[in-house]
Amino acid sequence: MRLALPALLALTACGSASFPNVSCKDAASESCVEVDPLDEEQSLLDVVNTVGSDTTIVLGEGTFSMDNQVTFRGADGLVFMGQGMDETVLDFGEMTTQGNGVDAIAEGFTIEKLTILDAPKDGLRVEASTDVVIREVRATWTNENDPGNGGYGLYPVSSERVLIEDSEAFNASDAGVYVGQCIEAVVRRNTAQKNVAGLEIENTQYADVYENIVTDNTGGLVVFDLPGNPVVGRDVLIHDNVVTDNNRANFAPGGTVAYIPAGTGTFAMASRRVEITSNTYANNNSVDIALISGMVVDSDPEKWAIPEGDLVGSIEGLQLDTADGVVMNFRSSEIYVHDNSHSGSGTDPDNSDQEVRELGFLLWVAWGSTPVDTVLYDTIGESSFDIEDASKNSNDNHICVKATDGVSFASMNLENVPALPSKDKMFRPEPPFTPFDCDSFTGGPLVTPTFAAE
Amino acid sequence: MRNVAALYAAVLLAPVAGCGGGFGEIDLPDEPPQLLSELQLVRADEDGSLLTNDRVEPYALNTPLFSDYALKERLVYVPDGEVATPDPRWTYDFPEGSAILKTFLVVPDLREPEVDRQRVETRVLIRSNGEWLAWPYIWDEDGSDARFAPSGMTASMSVIDRDGASRDFTYLVPQKNQCQECHEIEDTVTGEKGIVPIGPTMRNLEGEHDGSEQLQRLVDAGLFAEPLADRPPPAAHWFATVGQDWSQVDDETLDRVARDYLDVNCAHCHNERAVNGKTSQLFLSWDNTDRFRLGVCKKPGSAAKGTGGRTWDIVPGDPDRSILHYRLQTDDVGSMMPDIGRSLVHTEGLKLIEEWIRRMDDAPCGVEE
Repeated sequence: MRLALPALLALTACGSASFPNVSCKDAASESCVEVDPLDEEQSLLDVVNTVGSDTTIVLGEGTFSMDNQVTFRGADGLVFMGQGMDETVLDFGEMTTQGNGVDAIAEGFTIEKLTILDAPKDGLRVEASTDVVIREVRATWTNENDPGNGGYGLYPVSSERVLIEDSEAFNASDAGVYVGQCIEAVVRRNTAQKNVAGLEIENTQYADVYENIVTDNTGGLVVFDLPGNPVVGRDVLIHDNVVTDNNRANFAPGGTVAYIPAGTGTFAMASRRVEITSNTYANNNSVDIALISGMVVDSDPEKWAIPEGDLVGSIEGLQLDTADGVVMNFRSSEIYVHDNSHSGSGTDPDNSDQEVRELGFLLWVAWGSTPVDTVLYDTIGESSFDIEDASKNSNDNHICVKATDGVSFASMNLENVPALPSKDKMFRPEPPFTPFDCDSFTGGPLVTPTFAAE
Repeated sequence: MRNVAALYAAVLLAPVAGCGGGFGEIDLPDEPPQLLSELQLVRADEDGSLLTNDRVEPYALNTPLFSDYALKERLVYVPDGEVATPDPRWTYDFPEGSAILKTFLVVPDLREPEVDRQRVETRVLIRSNGEWLAWPYIWDEDGSDARFAPSGMTASMSVIDRDGASRDFTYLVPQKNQCQECHEIEDTVTGEKGIVPIGPTMRNLEGEHDGSEQLQRLVDAGLFAEPLADRPPPAAHWFATVGQDWSQVDDETLDRVARDYLDVNCAHCHNERAVNGKTSQLFLSWDNTDRFRLGVCKKPGSAAKGTGGRTWDIVPGDPDRSILHYRLQTDDVGSMMPDIGRSLVHTEGLKLIEEWIRRMDDAPCGVEE
């Protein structure tokens, strides 16, 4: 857990024992406070609750045993940093009141180089904030597969310009990394492991998600909109991620993720303008990629109605269903899947719960002993469908799947599944998957954030 | 049971002994002083009562927030020559230099709420430079004064409830930055964020308290402007309902009491301008008429284990399948609601909401997945 001894000795020569890696000397801000876990006089919460804007708080090496959430409010431009994920631990295991681990709202908030352990609710929650940086932060719970663990590891929500990089999330009972209702997010080089859902992008506009390692969760890397939410998700680019071995038995205590079949690599649900490319998919036992309508989680269009006046962000150029004064975002459309690698997946779909994880059970029955196709489409919202004749299949939703090596495709016609589901009742075209062989977005290339260019 | 209610009303106001001498001039600072008494608004008398400055008035709320059965002394201060003006929907608009103080007291035995009361904390809101500042103070053991406590406190406590059962709980004095969890709003027009008071709305103040009509008393004391002629109906008097058998109450009354209970206990976050709760899109304000956003057949966005394995926020007619009910019923850290401020189940509130959901006759939610 600690630095190798020679390195530690070398560093202590220029800093105090508790601040081997980072100290206030390294702070970019004028105002800086060091908090040493060995110093009983100065409580971390006293510092957190009294700092002004544009302050750096540097935590020393060691474990801070917390009996309440670390809360940031009313101060902007904050930097909160430890000595490293292995060196500085905020331990919430003894907390007997409600709360998250670290909970922040700020215009400008950076958190880095520390671990958040055993938070009662979410590990890190950042809400209604701007310019959020989460770097080298680990959110984890001691127990594996424990439905009593907190819901979300790293959870920025309703925020603008969010960067999550080089961070880790383990054992969350909902999602490890969860970007919700954000405008502009970059999520790169993170590891999500042993969570119910590894990495989720929810109701978010303009996200670039790359070089993450998402393995050994129930579901890997997923994109979706939830009903009734004022941010209509769009322009999500998922590339160069490793999404493998997501076969962990679902241990969610409830909520939408309880429906995710173990063995799911990626799904995009109620989503539009999503590009999934150059990722490595392997050994996800149910399916690598599923493209599904929001109707699957809520079939009442009214639940998806957002009054136009409530919308947050931009819906310009999106072809959304509309009714009197409302837009509805249940449809999945404008999704382009191409140039991913696939191996060893779909061999053992999750048949553990026919009712709750219906989709897994359906795959198990429909494909029998043969591997499930690598890319599935539920066909919901299409005006025409035929098992054999490509020309009788519509592509109203503009779903594009490129037929590269290892890719097979099925349009499942999920709305009309027979009593005994079978892959033979689906449209499973040979390459190039016409009419799903388009290779661009109707409204032009995705727009991705530029604020965190490397 | 009426007696208990009467006792509560008495406890709420009696210890505030009214104006006393010895106060200096009030000039509220924009940085918290170390001692509460330095604000010159209140101080503890030797007999344990709170002495208040001339321009400080006690008030009570018709329906108060449940806080692990803590008793509360509420005080308001408005500078001389100024008045707080009513808002049709939200709290009164207070002039610069005003203050609102809420003191929490615990008692060992709720059957004898006047015995061995102990002041734990006082939460202070001060109107300064166009915004509200929020400061927590914790009372010394001997009750002589309270000290600024930015990091708050947790303490193990127990209380004997009205049924004679001993209940252990963790009392939380919120840290300073946790004030915003309930008190922070984002203006729906300007997008600006800020702290606001929650309690003193016209409708939750209007009515008889301590033997007089409260809004009129505050007007007569020169602190409040006249209430608006066109104003919403007053909130229900919660303490008058203690011991109520809800199955015997007519639909209209039940709905009103339940909606007021949810309004006070939930809607500080669960309304469309609350920074901490609007993400949920579940709006529990007393005047919300959108049944879906009231929770009827609504699936939560990110409730995680807070669902208790249930699917919808409210299943009409079926409290045991409703997440809202589970949130009130559980004391699991990480699952219960409100998010902050309770660790015990509010048995009386739970019974009310149970009956309220049971009587709902909205269309069924569909097939449980």
